[in-house]
Amino acid sequence: MPRSHRERVALALAREEPDRCPMQISFTPEFADRLRSDLGVRGQLNVARGGEHNPHGGGNTYELERAIGSDLILTSVGWANNYYAGHGRYTDEWGVTWQEHPYETPFGTGHYTEMVGFPLAEDGAIDEYVPPDPQRPELYADAGRVIAEYGGEYWIVGVTVTTIFETAWALRGYERLLMDLVIEPELADRILEIPFRYHLAAAEKLAAMGVDMIWTGDDIGSQKGMLFHPDTWRRFFKPRMAELVRRVKAINPDLKVAYHTDGDVREVIPELIEIGIDVLNPVQPACMDPAELKRDYGDHLLFWGAIDEQHTLPFGSPADVRREIELRLRTIGAGGGLILGPTHHVQLDTPLENFWAMIETIRDTSY
Amino acid sequence: MADLAALTAAVEVGDRATAVAITQAAIDEGLEPTEVLDAMTVAMTEVGRRFACNEGVYVPEMLIAAHAMKEASALLEPLLAASGVKPEHTAVIGTVQGDLHDIGKNLVGMMLKGADFEVIDLGTNVAPAAFAAAATEHGADLIGISALLTTTMVGMRDAVSAVHAAAPGAKVMVGGAPVTDEFAAEIGADGFAKDAATAATVARQLLT
Repeated sequence: MPRSHRERVALALAREEPDRCPMQISFTPEFADRLRSDLGVRGQLNVARGGEHNPHGGGNTYELERAIGSDLILTSVGWANNYYAGHGRYTDEWGVTWQEHPYETPFGTGHYTEMVGFPLAEDGAIDEYVPPDPQRPELYADAGRVIAEYGGEYWIVGVTVTTIFETAWALRGYERLLMDLVIEPELADRILEIPFRYHLAAAEKLAAMGVDMIWTGDDIGSQKGMLFHPDTWRRFFKPRMAELVRRVKAINPDLKVAYHTDGDVREVIPELIEIGIDVLNPVQPACMDPAELKRDYGDHLLFWGAIDEQHTLPFGSPADVRREIELRLRTIGAGGGLILGPTHHVQLDTPLENFWAMIETIRDTSY
Repeated sequence: MADLAALTAAVEVGDRATAVAITQAAIDEGLEPTEVLDAMTVAMTEVGRRFACNEGVYVPEMLIAAHAMKEASALLEPLLAASGVKPEHTAVIGTVQGDLHDIGKNLVGMMLKGADFEVIDLGTNVAPAAFAAAATEHGADLIGISALLTTTMVGMRDAVSAVHAAAPGAKVMVGGAPVTDEFAAEIGADGFAKDAATAATVARQLLT
């Protein structure tokens, strides 16, 4: 029996089998509200706390994560914190304009925040652009508190996702940036450097503060393959990501680095391993077979995620959820090397029965 | 003599300047506008095939090819209009209500234009009634509805019903990351396209 959540994760990442597979679960704000009420009903939580849950951190007290038995605690510094950061229309400190946008589910109305204004949309705008400063001490206050309160007990993850590509697309606009990569490579380089330097500084600071893992990456996959040519990735993203991994591991050689990307990225997985990525997240089973990945790369790569949120969690039954988790434990959990979790924040469209089936199956199954 | 094979090649690689120059030369030489347009649709079909078969074409390459065709074909539009040549089919496209993610829908629009469709793009966050109204207003043969999110995808059911009620002759094609063949069948859609390149092929099959 591991002495702490942290030890459970450390054992699994050392390819051993602790008492159960470690898990990490995050939620959208509305799902968090629903879960908070449900936990209150179950007497497992004091529901009096006000405020709004932000899955990227920013004042999160982690009471929900701790109440359900999550083994990892995430603390984020970077542009991604601007998701769910306001209501109506708001502009973040990078100059990106967001619009809150509702969606209906059987369990009520949820909201996404979507980007609608891009500060570098015009070609010349970059000449005048001043990015935010990643060295401001207040950016790291939450991380400091998390490490002080939960370090040692939980596996602390320093989050700097949307590291290069996603923040750059928020600055430039999605289609423009994708085309820049091919027809305006020098401009693309200048744009990509802005978020890269920022998130590199944040990752180094978080590593120095003592997090157990850095979570980095960008969505570079689609449902059917890479968004762009692997050579494009090699030209723009691989060297930058290699630099980030090298620099944070120079600060702490025991630090694990997890790489996040949605979609099917099998074309570049060997090269992610080559540049020192330890953990792949979220391993979207609707487009990559986790068992195949474990077979092909399991000796060199650890996995985090792998619970389908495109079909099973929102549209399946509790029995489907249990079956999927048992399958994952059998195929990629056995022998360690896996942190289970849904492939995105749990959204309002997931029935609570499915959510609890997920949590209870993970908690009650010893591989 | 304007080199239409070179025009095809220029659109395939997204070389806008060359595509525009050859198109202008072809117009100046009095070539049939439809013949020039055909040289570009051949290119988009090939780009779509390579995308679908994973032969070195990814989203950026599709985007730049489509932009090259858009710019070059704009030169032909007045001539095509003057000669009364109309695209064979009309498609109305948009993202489902609640969904603002439109790159997939935009690529579908580009591929449909490349396959000789007139495309009415309703943009993002389109209500079922708006799809239905546009289908009747434009006499559309095809309605294309896209969703990126599991939370918005379920709204496709109402959009499909609204279109079928208002325009019984129109075919509804759905697609987007979380959408599957089974889901498309379950909500009564006429067709499912797994990606933008396939969309043009599926659309043509639905209309023959």
